[in-house]
Amino acid sequence: MEQIVFGIGITALAGALATVAGSAEDTESNIGSQGDPNSQVQLAPQMGFVHRIFNKAVAGEPPAYALWCALGAGLAWAFLAMHVNAVLAIVLGSLLAVFVQGIYATTAYLGRTSSLAKFGQPVYVDILKSMTTVAMAHAFVAIFCTVTICYLINAALGHPFPLPLLGFIWGIALGAAGSATGNPYYGKERQYQNQKFGAGVPISASGNIVRYAEAGERNSIDNGFFTAKFGGPASGLCFGLIVFLELWRTILFEKVGAGWGAIIVGILIILVFTIIDRYMEVWARKNYGPYTAPAKEAAP
Amino acid sequence: MTAVAAKPQTGAIFNPTAMVVGIVLLIILLGIGYYVSPTLGLAALIGIVIGGVLIGFGVHFVPVGGAPAAMGQAPGIATGVAMLAAGAGLAGLFGGAWAADQGLLIAVITGGIGGGLMMAITCMMVNFVYVFGMGIPAASGKVLKDPITGDSQPEYKSQGTEGHGLPFVSFVGGVIGGILGGAGGTLIYIELLDLYKATLPTVMNASAAQILPIAVATAGMFAIGLFLVNAVLTAYNITGTIEGPHDPKFKRWPRSVVASAVASALCGLVAILIVLI
Repeated sequence: MEQIVFGIGITALAGALATVAGSAEDTESNIGSQGDPNSQVQLAPQMGFVHRIFNKAVAGEPPAYALWCALGAGLAWAFLAMHVNAVLAIVLGSLLAVFVQGIYATTAYLGRTSSLAKFGQPVYVDILKSMTTVAMAHAFVAIFCTVTICYLINAALGHPFPLPLLGFIWGIALGAAGSATGNPYYGKERQYQNQKFGAGVPISASGNIVRYAEAGERNSIDNGFFTAKFGGPASGLCFGLIVFLELWRTILFEKVGAGWGAIIVGILIILVFTIIDRYMEVWARKNYGPYTAPAKEAAP
Repeated sequence: MTAVAAKPQTGAIFNPTAMVVGIVLLIILLGIGYYVSPTLGLAALIGIVIGGVLIGFGVHFVPVGGAPAAMGQAPGIATGVAMLAAGAGLAGLFGGAWAADQGLLIAVITGGIGGGLMMAITCMMVNFVYVFGMGIPAASGKVLKDPITGDSQPEYKSQGTEGHGLPFVSFVGGVIGGILGGAGGTLIYIELLDLYKATLPTVMNASAAQILPIAVATAGMFAIGLFLVNAVLTAYNITGTIEGPHDPKFKRWPRSVVASAVASALCGLVAILIVLI
């Protein structure tokens, strides 16, 4: 009984850490335009829209986070083997992984942006200096939380995989959850704020991203500020639910029915999410109705 | 015909010669496995091939919209095919590896459910963002009616797009894809773990307890590697985006299954030979 209560406590902590990790990951990727919306950031100058948006997308979010989390977890593992305190080992491992992320962000921005020189897109050194550090700070939060989850799963819950392997697995899952949930909000809702609300962006509008803010030109910190209010928390909720429910069903029901308990609970949870999804789909169709073309304004 | 003149093909494309060559290669690789180790090695190799085929087939179900989905220009999840499938499958492998002590069947099903759970949550959150964050209802661009619910699609599709969000059939496809991927990854892991646990004590001249962490780590790394091989291979077969099982591109699965079987057999052979030679 005591072990189950301990397991539930660890599960709750891991779920909370995962929520923070997902939120930080999405905000970091939006500041760096690392998800799929990077295609528009790259396309805009080619269509004549020069901008001040950071772009470090030379890898997708899942493999990038798999690298950074595996690196953080691997280094933390090495420090633990040297009998360094666990908290310090995780912090040091994450810190070193973030330096790699910083180098990656710098070279990626310089490489991607300088390739657009023939379209008149400048490399802004002030953007490089101000955005990289902010992206690194968010990446540290995401990596630290993920490596801590892996450490808890390995040391406290007794998962057989070594720490670096867990870092790789949960890093890739973090990137997958964050990019799946957060990308549409950044891509459609922020980059194309000038398009009709409640409709997809017409393909003909591709590249015409919003480049101006309330004062001056829009930069990636403005984008991070915007998406941190919805896309980030939604990504956090997604990754938090994945980690929490996966651990919860295993800890509580693994021993029930010789392993079938966790399977049945897993199926029930999938059914619950299926019902929620269907309800949302029907709700949206009923309340928003079919697509209506925007009315053209009369000429003055 | 030049690449420019060639029309994009969305349906089934079969090259019988390539399929036969693939099957012959598979038989040769299995034959090498039989020659090296007729019992343990061959059994593991067959398990790896089945696991690889499950992953390759499963990835076709996952609705992936890539970059267009991020702008609400195409239905599906806004990320890459291989990445999303890997995320779901590896989450499944995580659960399956945990249940490895409870037998092959329980572990494989647990892995499958883990992958399905990850996809169910992700797909639900994708629709959550579309509906409550962007005010966009789901609409498919490939079918007039949702094959499961019968909901009409075209009138909900925004002008100038191929659809957006995740219609119910895509959600179900995502969950099925996650289940197959998680189960396949776990099957590969368990087969390799059993093989390493049986052979490593002799190879390394150590006790079973001493080699267990090495066996777990090596089997885990090979399982992840094989997962990525199959997911990336299938991504090439899909070429870009797919809406799910109702998408015409789904019909391409047979050639991907053959390719996955051959690639898994080759990679699996390497994983087996490191301990059997």
